[in-house]
Amino acid sequence: MMGIDLSCFSQNIKEKSSLFIQIFINGLVAGAIYALIASGFSLIYSTNKFVHFAHGTVAVWGGYLLYWFYSLLGLDFWLAAVLTIISTAIIGFLLNLLFYKPLRKRKSSSSILLIASVGLLILLESLIQIFFGNNVKTIGFVQSRTGISIAGGLITPLQIITIISAVILFIFLTWFMNKTKTGKAMRAVADNKDVAEIVGISAEKIYTWSFVVGSAIAGLAGILITLEYNLTPTMGTNLMIKGFAGAIIGGIGSVPGAIAGSFFLGLVEKFGIWFLPSGFQDAIAFIILFIFLLFKSTGLFTVKKEATK
Amino acid sequence: MISSYFGGLLIMISIYLILALSLQLALGFCGLFNLGFVGFYAIGAYASALLALSGQPFWFCLLTAALVPTIFAYILSTATNKLKGDYLALATMGFSFVIYAVTLNWIGLTKGPLGLPGIPRPQFWGIDFNNDTNFLILSALIAILTYLILHKIASSPFGKTLEAIRDDELAAKSLGKKTATAKSLALMISAFFAGIAGCLLASYLSYIDPTSFMFVNLIPILTIVVIGGLASLPGTVFATIIIVLLPEPLRFIGLPSSLIGPGRQLLYALFLLLILLYKPKGFYGKVELE
Repeated sequence: MMGIDLSCFSQNIKEKSSLFIQIFINGLVAGAIYALIASGFSLIYSTNKFVHFAHGTVAVWGGYLLYWFYSLLGLDFWLAAVLTIISTAIIGFLLNLLFYKPLRKRKSSSSILLIASVGLLILLESLIQIFFGNNVKTIGFVQSRTGISIAGGLITPLQIITIISAVILFIFLTWFMNKTKTGKAMRAVADNKDVAEIVGISAEKIYTWSFVVGSAIAGLAGILITLEYNLTPTMGTNLMIKGFAGAIIGGIGSVPGAIAGSFFLGLVEKFGIWFLPSGFQDAIAFIILFIFLLFKSTGLFTVKKEATK
Repeated sequence: MISSYFGGLLIMISIYLILALSLQLALGFCGLFNLGFVGFYAIGAYASALLALSGQPFWFCLLTAALVPTIFAYILSTATNKLKGDYLALATMGFSFVIYAVTLNWIGLTKGPLGLPGIPRPQFWGIDFNNDTNFLILSALIAILTYLILHKIASSPFGKTLEAIRDDELAAKSLGKKTATAKSLALMISAFFAGIAGCLLASYLSYIDPTSFMFVNLIPILTIVVIGGLASLPGTVFATIIIVLLPEPLRFIGLPSSLIGPGRQLLYALFLLLILLYKPKGFYGKVELE
């Protein structure tokens, strides 16, 4: 009798632990995607100092462009991916040039820029609906869904690629911000725009650069989202909130912090739906965002006080 | 008799007027970046719909629809009182997303994506509001009453305090104004009227589902406030009429029905951006957002 009971018990433990590992993996994958959104967002926020709401939708545009290049035009996948990243960088460039730059020229406050970015979010979203329709799109590049088993949890090659991309991006961004001239200038503008301009850095140029680089990263995120999940036109707002929540948790304006915060968010979210109905997954992100805004608005990795300034 | 099409448009103008006026109080007068506004609208609509479906009289539904969002606004404002600008916008936006997630997922209460059908129209004093003309008169009266009340508030010392907070909170504080209380009150009054608009929407359409309360639905209201001009009540009336009527031609140019929704949004977004770029104070506004 004892033996049977024990084996049942250990069976149960084994199931629990493999479920735990599986959720952990799912959390890491979600976190990697949020990190890609959050790092681009954080890059733009740190220099421009306003919330670029349309950032998530730029990533969704990336997904739809990949669908267009690869599934509709039939281009080679890697060519399509590169074209997608270039296109989103151009979208970012144009958004800045056509809307944000004239607004800045008129010395609009960051509140006005925020309203404008909400307008842009809706503009980009409705353009997707008009061009591609409302139905869900899948791209079907990765045929095999067979996963590799790690300690009882399954992970697909694509998911490994997603996590690796986030890590590589993290290394690249750290190098870019610390070693290149543009990266250093970006940090200077983020820190103090007026002083940066005195030493001859053109703030306007840096704003453009951060939009281009940030949107290119959003394009990469869009590609990975399209491969991992399905595409819907309205997913951008949600992505943007996840990215923002990640950035807030990590400490806004700090790109490494944003990446760490995003992984944290992905994990909490996936473990959250262990207990809650899965429909509440998005609500979990907002609740975490809320808690951090209220009690630790500086995030985990920065010391500056920003939220109530 | 007014034809039902124009009657419907006028009812929507009344509902949007109430919404825009109440957002105007929080955003235009007090400078509170409340992106969670649609959440209050949703709470009001669901509260009144659930009560009406359980057979409660209209006045009770209307009162509850106004008071429940007010309580939520009190809680939200207490929680977010220290936040400013972008952060307040994001926190309140989070609030509206949580409310949306609840309406979508609390199936037991809200029936989730199926929505609540068969919400009865009000009936009192022997008047049957199933008649659209009668319902139009009711909603127009409520909209006018809202305008008068908000006008009264705006021109009262309290309204001046709100404007002082918007322009310079620190200065208002140093003059001894209780800015935290005033901001909280502004948000509560704003939620109160948003709830009333929600109640009217629920009983007018006799059906509500979560899609009416997605974040996107903030755009027309926000556009009205920006176009009308911050802190301008007559401007809001003018802008409401324009914004409700603006996408109507889309119905008649033979656009496929799947394009009407996105087309309408595109129009609102473009209009909002053009106003911000070329006429940032709106048509009647006196101030620009700090």
